[in-house]
Amino acid sequence: MTTITENIKNEVKEIVYSFFADECEVDVSQIHDTTSIINDLDGDSLMFLELIEIFKKKYNLDIELKVIGKYAVKHPVSTIGQLIEMQLLIIEHENRLLDLDQ
Amino acid sequence: MRIVSWIWINNQDINLSDNHLAFIFPAFTSDYSDHPAQIIPGFNDRFNELLLQASDSIDPGLSGFSFSGQTFPEDELRTQYITYIYSCTISWLLKKGKIFPHITAGYSMGIYAALYDSDAVSFETGLILIKVAYQCLHKSLNNRLFGMGTLIGLNAGDIQSIIDQSSLRVEITNQNAPHSFVVSGYRDDINRIMELAREEGALHTRDLAVSIPYHSGYLKAGAMDFSQQVSHLEILPPETRIISLIDQVTLSTPPLIRQELTRNLFHTLNWLHTMQVMLENNVRQFIECGPSTGLAKNARFVDGVRFSPLPSILP
Repeated sequence: MTTITENIKNEVKEIVYSFFADECEVDVSQIHDTTSIINDLDGDSLMFLELIEIFKKKYNLDIELKVIGKYAVKHPVSTIGQLIEMQLLIIEHENRLLDLDQ
Repeated sequence: MRIVSWIWINNQDINLSDNHLAFIFPAFTSDYSDHPAQIIPGFNDRFNELLLQASDSIDPGLSGFSFSGQTFPEDELRTQYITYIYSCTISWLLKKGKIFPHITAGYSMGIYAALYDSDAVSFETGLILIKVAYQCLHKSLNNRLFGMGTLIGLNAGDIQSIIDQSSLRVEITNQNAPHSFVVSGYRDDINRIMELAREEGALHTRDLAVSIPYHSGYLKAGAMDFSQQVSHLEILPPETRIISLIDQVTLSTPPLIRQELTRNLFHTLNWLHTMQVMLENNVRQFIECGPSTGLAKNARFVDGVRFSPLPSILP
Protein backbone atom coordinates (compact mmCIF):
# COMPACT_ATOMS: atom_id res chain seq x y z
CA MET A 1 0.00 0.00 0.00
CA THR A 2 1.45 3.35 -1.05
CA THR A 3 1.02 6.33 1.21
CA ILE A 4 -0.35 9.20 -0.81
CA THR A 5 1.78 12.28 -0.17
CA GLU A 6 1.25 15.81 -1.41
CA ASN A 7 4.08 15.16 -3.79
CA ILE A 8 2.28 12.17 -5.33
CA LYS A 9 -0.99 14.10 -5.51
CA ASN A 10 0.69 16.91 -7.42
CA GLU A 11 2.52 14.48 -9.67
CA VAL A 12 -0.68 12.58 -10.56
CA LYS A 13 -2.54 15.80 -11.26
CA GLU A 14 0.23 17.06 -13.50
CA ILE A 15 0.40 13.78 -15.44
CA VAL A 16 -3.38 13.64 -15.94
CA TYR A 17 -3.59 17.27 -17.06
CA SER A 18 -0.69 17.04 -19.49
CA PHE A 19 -1.90 13.66 -20.80
CA PHE A 20 -5.32 15.05 -21.76
CA ALA A 21 -3.85 18.28 -23.08
CA ASP A 22 -1.62 16.24 -25.37
CA GLU A 23 -4.17 13.59 -26.38
CA CYS A 24 -7.03 16.01 -26.94
CA GLU A 25 -4.91 18.81 -28.38
CA VAL A 26 -6.09 21.49 -25.99
CA ASP A 27 -4.05 23.95 -23.96
CA VAL A 28 -3.49 22.67 -20.44
CA SER A 29 -4.86 25.98 -19.11
CA GLN A 30 -8.26 24.98 -20.49
CA ILE A 31 -8.38 21.84 -18.34
CA HIS A 32 -9.78 21.99 -14.80
CA ASP A 33 -10.91 19.48 -12.23
CA THR A 34 -14.51 20.06 -13.31
CA THR A 35 -13.77 19.51 -17.02
CA SER A 36 -15.88 16.70 -18.48
CA ILE A 37 -13.67 14.09 -20.10
CA ILE A 38 -16.20 13.07 -22.72
CA ASN A 39 -18.25 16.24 -23.29
CA ASP A 40 -15.48 18.83 -23.07
CA LEU A 41 -12.42 16.89 -24.24
CA ASP A 42 -13.93 14.24 -26.52
CA GLY A 43 -12.06 11.63 -24.49
CA ASP A 44 -12.66 7.90 -24.74
CA SER A 45 -12.17 4.67 -22.86
CA LEU A 46 -8.90 3.93 -24.64
CA MET A 47 -7.45 7.11 -23.16
CA PHE A 48 -8.54 5.97 -19.70
CA LEU A 49 -6.88 2.61 -20.32
CA GLU A 50 -3.68 4.27 -21.54
CA LEU A 51 -3.55 6.47 -18.47
CA ILE A 52 -3.93 3.46 -16.21
CA GLU A 53 -1.02 1.80 -18.00
CA ILE A 54 1.10 4.94 -17.48
CA PHE A 55 0.48 4.87 -13.73
CA LYS A 56 0.96 1.11 -13.52
CA LYS A 57 4.44 1.53 -14.96
CA LYS A 58 5.32 4.69 -13.07
CA TYR A 59 4.38 3.39 -9.64
CA ASN A 60 4.99 -0.30 -10.37
CA LEU A 61 1.41 -1.12 -9.41
CA ASP A 62 0.06 -4.59 -8.82
CA ILE A 63 -3.48 -4.21 -10.07
CA GLU A 64 -5.63 -6.03 -12.60
CA LEU A 65 -7.59 -3.94 -15.05
CA LYS A 66 -10.76 -5.83 -14.24
CA VAL A 67 -10.47 -4.73 -10.60
CA ILE A 68 -10.50 -1.13 -11.82
CA GLY A 69 -13.38 -1.96 -14.16
CA LYS A 70 -15.48 -3.41 -11.35
CA TYR A 71 -14.75 -0.38 -9.18
CA ALA A 72 -15.56 2.01 -12.03
CA VAL A 73 -18.98 0.44 -12.56
CA LYS A 74 -19.94 1.45 -9.00
CA HIS A 75 -18.01 4.72 -9.06
CA PRO A 76 -18.24 6.12 -12.57
CA VAL A 77 -15.85 8.88 -13.52
CA SER A 78 -16.88 11.80 -15.69
CA THR A 79 -14.59 14.70 -14.78
CA ILE A 80 -10.84 15.22 -14.64
CA GLY A 81 -11.04 15.72 -10.87
CA GLN A 82 -12.89 12.43 -10.37
CA LEU A 83 -10.36 10.67 -12.55
CA ILE A 84 -7.48 12.02 -10.47
CA GLU A 85 -9.21 10.86 -7.28
CA MET A 86 -9.65 7.39 -8.76
CA GLN A 87 -6.03 7.22 -9.89
CA LEU A 88 -4.89 8.12 -6.37
CA LEU A 89 -7.09 5.35 -4.93
CA ILE A 90 -5.65 2.90 -7.46
CA ILE A 91 -2.09 3.87 -6.48
CA GLU A 92 -2.93 3.63 -2.79
CA HIS A 93 -4.92 0.39 -2.75
CA GLU A 94 -3.90 -1.50 -5.92
CA ASN A 95 -5.64 -4.89 -6.08
CA ARG A 96 -7.39 -4.16 -2.78
CA LEU A 97 -9.35 -1.35 -4.40
CA LEU A 98 -12.63 -3.25 -4.15
CA ASP A 99 -12.17 -3.63 -0.39
CA LEU A 100 -13.11 0.04 -0.15
CA ASP A 101 -16.71 -0.92 -0.91
CA GLN A 102 -16.94 -3.50 1.84
CA MET B 1 -11.52 16.98 -32.88
CA ARG B 2 -8.16 15.34 -33.25
CA ILE B 3 -7.26 13.75 -36.55
CA VAL B 4 -5.10 10.71 -36.02
CA SER B 5 -4.37 8.82 -39.14
CA TRP B 6 -0.65 9.14 -39.42
CA ILE B 7 1.41 7.33 -36.83
CA TRP B 8 5.10 6.87 -36.26
CA ILE B 9 7.30 5.42 -33.60
CA ASN B 10 9.91 6.74 -31.26
CA ASN B 11 9.25 10.34 -32.29
CA GLN B 12 11.66 9.91 -35.15
CA ASP B 13 11.75 12.53 -37.84
CA ILE B 14 9.46 11.65 -40.70
CA ASN B 15 11.47 10.46 -43.65
CA LEU B 16 9.42 9.00 -46.44
CA SER B 17 12.38 7.82 -48.45
CA ASP B 18 13.71 5.37 -45.88
CA ASN B 19 11.51 2.51 -47.03
CA HIS B 20 10.17 1.86 -43.56
CA LEU B 21 6.60 2.89 -44.28
CA ALA B 22 3.45 0.78 -43.87
CA PHE B 23 -0.04 1.46 -45.21
CA ILE B 24 -2.78 0.03 -43.02
CA PHE B 25 -6.35 -0.23 -44.28
CA PRO B 26 -9.23 -0.17 -41.78
CA ALA B 27 -12.47 -2.13 -41.88
CA PHE B 28 -15.69 -0.40 -42.83
CA THR B 29 -17.45 2.38 -40.95
CA SER B 30 -20.54 4.49 -41.52
CA ASP B 31 -19.23 7.29 -39.31
CA TYR B 32 -17.43 9.83 -41.44
CA SER B 33 -17.21 12.53 -38.78
CA ASP B 34 -13.41 12.22 -38.60
CA HIS B 35 -13.02 12.27 -42.39
CA PRO B 36 -9.23 12.70 -42.04
CA ALA B 37 -8.53 13.06 -45.75
CA GLN B 38 -10.93 15.93 -46.36
CA ILE B 39 -8.19 18.54 -46.46
CA ILE B 40 -5.89 16.58 -48.75
CA PRO B 41 -5.66 18.39 -52.08
CA GLY B 42 -7.37 16.38 -54.78
CA PHE B 43 -9.17 14.01 -52.43
CA ASN B 44 -12.70 15.02 -53.41
CA ASP B 45 -12.04 14.85 -57.14
CA ARG B 46 -10.53 11.39 -57.01
CA PHE B 47 -13.12 10.11 -54.53
CA ASN B 48 -15.98 11.31 -56.75
CA GLU B 49 -14.32 9.76 -59.78
CA LEU B 50 -14.11 6.36 -58.07
CA LEU B 51 -17.61 6.75 -56.63
CA LEU B 52 -18.97 7.31 -60.13
CA GLN B 53 -17.04 4.30 -61.39
CA ALA B 54 -18.51 2.17 -58.60
CA SER B 55 -22.01 3.51 -59.23
CA ASP B 56 -21.73 2.52 -62.88
CA SER B 57 -20.23 -0.90 -62.33
CA ILE B 58 -21.66 -2.29 -59.10
CA ASP B 59 -24.46 -0.23 -57.49
CA PRO B 60 -26.19 2.84 -58.99
CA GLY B 61 -27.42 3.80 -55.52
CA LEU B 62 -23.89 4.76 -54.50
CA SER B 63 -24.20 7.98 -56.48
CA GLY B 64 -26.39 9.32 -53.68
CA PHE B 65 -23.57 9.23 -51.17
CA SER B 66 -22.65 12.42 -49.34
CA PHE B 67 -20.23 13.06 -46.48
CA SER B 68 -22.51 15.74 -45.11
CA GLY B 69 -25.47 13.47 -44.43
CA GLN B 70 -26.03 10.15 -42.74
CA THR B 71 -25.82 8.24 -45.98
CA PHE B 72 -26.31 4.45 -45.80
CA PRO B 73 -25.90 4.29 -41.99
CA GLU B 74 -27.46 0.83 -41.73
CA ASP B 75 -26.54 -0.55 -45.13
CA GLU B 76 -23.53 -2.76 -44.45
CA LEU B 77 -22.77 -3.49 -48.09
CA ARG B 78 -22.86 0.12 -49.27
CA THR B 79 -20.88 1.15 -46.19
CA GLN B 80 -18.19 -1.34 -47.23
CA TYR B 81 -18.14 0.07 -50.75
CA ILE B 82 -17.75 3.64 -49.46
CA THR B 83 -14.93 2.72 -47.07
CA TYR B 84 -13.19 0.83 -49.88
CA ILE B 85 -13.53 3.82 -52.23
CA TYR B 86 -12.20 6.13 -49.53
CA SER B 87 -9.20 3.89 -48.85
CA CYS B 88 -8.45 3.45 -52.54
CA THR B 89 -8.57 7.23 -52.97
CA ILE B 90 -5.95 7.78 -50.25
CA SER B 91 -3.79 4.98 -51.65
CA TRP B 92 -3.93 6.56 -55.12
CA LEU B 93 -3.12 10.05 -53.79
CA LEU B 94 -0.18 8.79 -51.77
CA LYS B 95 1.28 7.02 -54.78
CA LYS B 96 0.70 10.08 -56.90
CA GLY B 97 2.73 11.95 -54.30
CA LYS B 98 5.50 9.29 -54.68
CA ILE B 99 4.79 7.83 -51.27
CA PHE B 100 5.01 4.05 -51.45
CA PRO B 101 4.68 1.47 -48.66
CA HIS B 102 7.28 -1.07 -47.67
CA ILE B 103 4.49 -3.29 -46.38
CA THR B 104 0.67 -3.22 -46.21
CA ALA B 105 -2.03 -4.85 -44.12
CA GLY B 106 -5.80 -4.76 -44.40
CA TYR B 107 -7.70 -4.91 -41.13
CA SER B 108 -10.70 -7.22 -41.52
CA MET B 109 -12.59 -6.12 -44.64
CA GLY B 110 -9.78 -3.65 -45.28
CA ILE B 111 -8.07 -6.53 -47.09
CA TYR B 112 -9.72 -5.53 -50.38
CA ALA B 113 -8.25 -2.03 -50.32
CA ALA B 114 -4.85 -3.47 -49.36
CA LEU B 115 -5.01 -5.74 -52.42
CA TYR B 116 -5.95 -2.79 -54.62
CA ASP B 117 -3.08 -0.79 -53.17
CA SER B 118 -0.62 -3.54 -54.02
CA ASP B 119 -2.01 -3.88 -57.57
CA ALA B 120 -3.06 -7.48 -56.89
CA VAL B 121 -6.64 -6.62 -57.87
CA SER B 122 -8.19 -3.86 -59.92
CA PHE B 123 -10.56 -1.33 -58.37
CA GLU B 124 -13.52 -3.09 -60.00
CA THR B 125 -12.40 -6.54 -58.84
CA GLY B 126 -12.21 -5.24 -55.29
CA LEU B 127 -15.82 -4.08 -55.55
CA ILE B 128 -16.92 -7.49 -56.85
CA LEU B 129 -15.07 -9.28 -54.03
CA ILE B 130 -16.88 -7.10 -51.47
CA LYS B 131 -20.25 -7.72 -53.06
CA VAL B 132 -19.87 -11.49 -53.46
CA ALA B 133 -18.48 -11.92 -49.94
CA TYR B 134 -21.37 -10.00 -48.42
CA GLN B 135 -24.00 -11.87 -50.44
CA CYS B 136 -22.53 -15.33 -49.75
CA LEU B 137 -22.13 -14.69 -46.03
CA HIS B 138 -25.55 -13.10 -45.67
CA LYS B 139 -27.20 -16.00 -47.47
CA SER B 140 -25.39 -18.60 -45.36
CA LEU B 141 -26.80 -17.14 -42.13
CA ASN B 142 -30.35 -18.13 -43.11
CA ASN B 143 -31.98 -15.11 -41.48
CA ARG B 144 -30.48 -15.93 -38.08
CA LEU B 145 -29.45 -12.83 -36.14
CA PHE B 146 -25.75 -12.32 -35.48
CA GLY B 147 -23.51 -9.49 -34.36
CA MET B 148 -20.09 -8.39 -33.16
CA GLY B 149 -18.74 -6.39 -30.24
CA THR B 150 -15.54 -5.10 -28.69
CA LEU B 151 -14.52 -5.72 -25.10
CA ILE B 152 -11.85 -3.54 -23.48
CA GLY B 153 -10.13 -4.22 -20.17
CA LEU B 154 -10.29 -8.03 -19.93
CA ASN B 155 -7.77 -10.58 -21.15
CA ALA B 156 -8.50 -13.47 -23.50
CA GLY B 157 -8.73 -15.95 -20.62
CA ASP B 158 -11.34 -13.83 -18.84
CA ILE B 159 -13.44 -13.57 -21.99
CA GLN B 160 -13.17 -17.26 -22.83
CA SER B 161 -14.25 -18.10 -19.26
CA ILE B 162 -17.37 -15.97 -19.68
CA ILE B 163 -18.13 -17.71 -22.97
CA ASP B 164 -17.62 -21.18 -21.50
CA GLN B 165 -19.41 -20.61 -18.22
CA SER B 166 -22.52 -19.21 -19.88
CA SER B 167 -22.34 -21.47 -22.95
CA LEU B 168 -22.49 -18.46 -25.24
CA ARG B 169 -22.47 -18.95 -29.00
CA VAL B 170 -19.68 -16.40 -29.33
CA GLU B 171 -16.07 -16.55 -30.48
CA ILE B 172 -13.12 -14.25 -29.81
CA THR B 173 -12.30 -13.20 -33.37
CA ASN B 174 -9.59 -10.56 -33.08
CA GLN B 175 -7.13 -9.05 -30.64
CA ASN B 176 -6.64 -5.34 -31.24
CA ALA B 177 -4.42 -4.58 -28.24
CA PRO B 178 -3.26 -6.38 -25.09
CA HIS B 179 -6.64 -5.77 -23.42
CA SER B 180 -8.88 -5.12 -26.40
CA PHE B 181 -10.73 -7.93 -28.16
CA VAL B 182 -13.42 -8.39 -30.78
CA VAL B 183 -16.11 -11.04 -30.40
CA SER B 184 -18.51 -12.41 -33.00
CA GLY B 185 -21.56 -14.61 -32.61
CA TYR B 186 -25.31 -14.86 -32.21
CA ARG B 187 -27.01 -11.51 -31.60
CA ASP B 188 -28.55 -12.47 -28.25
CA ASP B 189 -25.27 -13.86 -27.00
CA ILE B 190 -23.31 -10.80 -28.13
CA ASN B 191 -25.68 -8.68 -26.05
CA ARG B 192 -25.22 -11.07 -23.14
CA ILE B 193 -21.42 -11.18 -23.29
CA MET B 194 -21.27 -7.40 -23.21
CA GLU B 195 -23.38 -7.38 -20.03
CA LEU B 196 -21.33 -10.14 -18.43
CA ALA B 197 -18.04 -8.53 -19.43
CA ARG B 198 -19.02 -5.29 -17.67
CA GLU B 199 -19.89 -7.29 -14.55
CA GLU B 200 -16.52 -9.05 -14.81
CA GLY B 201 -14.70 -5.70 -14.93
CA ALA B 202 -14.44 -4.67 -18.59
CA LEU B 203 -13.72 -0.96 -18.76
CA HIS B 204 -15.73 -0.56 -21.93
CA THR B 205 -17.89 -2.62 -24.28
CA ARG B 206 -19.24 -1.61 -27.65
CA ASP B 207 -21.71 -3.15 -30.05
CA LEU B 208 -20.22 -3.00 -33.53
CA ALA B 209 -23.70 -2.81 -35.09
CA VAL B 210 -23.13 -5.33 -37.84
CA SER B 211 -25.29 -8.29 -38.80
CA ILE B 212 -22.55 -10.64 -39.97
CA PRO B 213 -20.23 -12.34 -37.42
CA TYR B 214 -17.04 -11.74 -39.40
CA HIS B 215 -14.00 -13.93 -38.76
CA SER B 216 -15.99 -16.58 -36.90
CA GLY B 217 -16.53 -20.24 -37.69
CA TYR B 218 -20.21 -19.48 -38.28
CA LEU B 219 -19.19 -18.19 -41.69
CA LYS B 220 -17.24 -21.16 -42.97
CA ALA B 221 -19.96 -22.41 -45.34
CA GLY B 222 -20.53 -18.93 -46.72
CA ALA B 223 -16.79 -18.45 -47.17
CA MET B 224 -16.53 -21.67 -49.20
CA ASP B 225 -19.36 -20.48 -51.44
CA PHE B 226 -17.52 -17.17 -51.86
CA SER B 227 -14.33 -19.01 -52.79
CA GLN B 228 -16.07 -20.80 -55.65
CA GLN B 229 -17.87 -17.74 -56.92
CA VAL B 230 -14.74 -15.59 -57.18
CA SER B 231 -12.43 -18.27 -58.56
CA HIS B 232 -12.61 -16.75 -62.05
CA LEU B 233 -11.56 -13.25 -60.96
CA GLU B 234 -8.10 -12.08 -61.91
CA ILE B 235 -5.62 -11.77 -59.07
CA LEU B 236 -2.06 -10.71 -59.84
CA PRO B 237 1.17 -11.06 -57.86
CA PRO B 238 1.26 -8.08 -55.49
CA GLU B 239 3.69 -5.26 -56.21
CA THR B 240 4.18 -4.58 -52.50
CA ARG B 241 4.36 -6.88 -49.55
CA ILE B 242 0.98 -7.71 -47.97
CA ILE B 243 0.91 -9.35 -44.58
CA SER B 244 -1.76 -11.80 -43.39
CA LEU B 245 -3.71 -10.94 -40.25
CA ILE B 246 -4.26 -14.63 -39.60
CA ASP B 247 -0.73 -15.98 -39.42
CA GLN B 248 1.31 -12.90 -40.38
CA VAL B 249 2.88 -14.59 -43.44
CA THR B 250 3.55 -12.60 -46.60
CA LEU B 251 0.86 -13.02 -49.23
CA SER B 252 3.28 -13.16 -52.13
CA THR B 253 1.35 -15.12 -54.77
CA PRO B 254 -2.16 -15.17 -56.24
CA PRO B 255 -2.93 -18.63 -54.73
CA LEU B 256 -1.94 -17.38 -51.28
CA ILE B 257 -4.11 -14.31 -51.77
CA ARG B 258 -7.09 -16.41 -52.88
CA GLN B 259 -6.67 -18.60 -49.82
CA GLU B 260 -6.43 -15.54 -47.59
CA LEU B 261 -9.53 -13.95 -49.07
CA THR B 262 -11.54 -17.00 -48.07
CA ARG B 263 -9.91 -17.59 -44.66
CA ASN B 264 -10.24 -13.92 -43.77
CA LEU B 265 -14.01 -14.32 -43.68
CA PHE B 266 -14.22 -17.14 -41.13
CA HIS B 267 -10.85 -17.32 -39.37
CA THR B 268 -9.70 -15.55 -36.20
CA LEU B 269 -7.43 -12.54 -36.79
CA ASN B 270 -4.76 -10.96 -34.61
CA TRP B 271 -4.22 -7.29 -35.38
CA LEU B 272 -1.92 -6.70 -32.41
CA HIS B 273 0.44 -9.43 -33.56
CA THR B 274 0.28 -8.11 -37.12
CA MET B 275 1.37 -4.65 -35.95
CA GLN B 276 4.17 -6.21 -33.89
CA VAL B 277 5.39 -8.25 -36.87
CA MET B 278 5.44 -5.11 -39.04
CA LEU B 279 7.54 -3.37 -36.39
CA GLU B 280 9.89 -6.36 -36.28
CA ASN B 281 10.22 -5.95 -40.05
CA ASN B 282 11.61 -2.47 -39.50
CA VAL B 283 8.43 -0.54 -40.22
CA ARG B 284 8.91 2.82 -38.56
CA GLN B 285 5.97 4.78 -39.94
CA PHE B 286 2.34 3.88 -40.55
CA ILE B 287 -0.39 5.56 -42.53
CA GLU B 288 -3.99 4.61 -41.81
CA CYS B 289 -5.69 4.83 -45.20
CA GLY B 290 -9.37 5.21 -44.40
CA PRO B 291 -12.24 7.35 -43.18
CA SER B 292 -11.89 6.46 -39.52
CA THR B 293 -9.04 6.88 -37.06
CA GLY B 294 -9.63 3.65 -35.16
CA LEU B 295 -6.39 1.87 -36.03
CA ALA B 296 -4.34 4.93 -35.15
CA LYS B 297 -6.11 5.32 -31.81
CA ASN B 298 -5.65 1.65 -31.07
CA ALA B 299 -1.95 1.82 -31.98
CA ARG B 300 -1.15 3.68 -28.76
CA PHE B 301 -1.12 0.27 -27.06
CA VAL B 302 1.57 -1.12 -29.31
CA ASP B 303 4.88 -0.42 -27.61
CA GLY B 304 6.60 2.71 -28.84
CA VAL B 305 3.97 3.83 -31.34
CA ARG B 306 2.80 7.43 -31.45
CA PHE B 307 0.70 9.16 -34.04
CA SER B 308 -0.05 12.48 -35.74
CA PRO B 309 -2.42 13.70 -38.46
CA LEU B 310 -2.31 12.26 -41.96
CA PRO B 311 -2.52 15.45 -44.03
CA SER B 312 0.72 16.81 -42.62
CA ILE B 313 2.80 14.49 -44.79
CA LEU B 314 1.23 15.24 -48.11
CA PRO B 315 2.57 17.83 -50.53
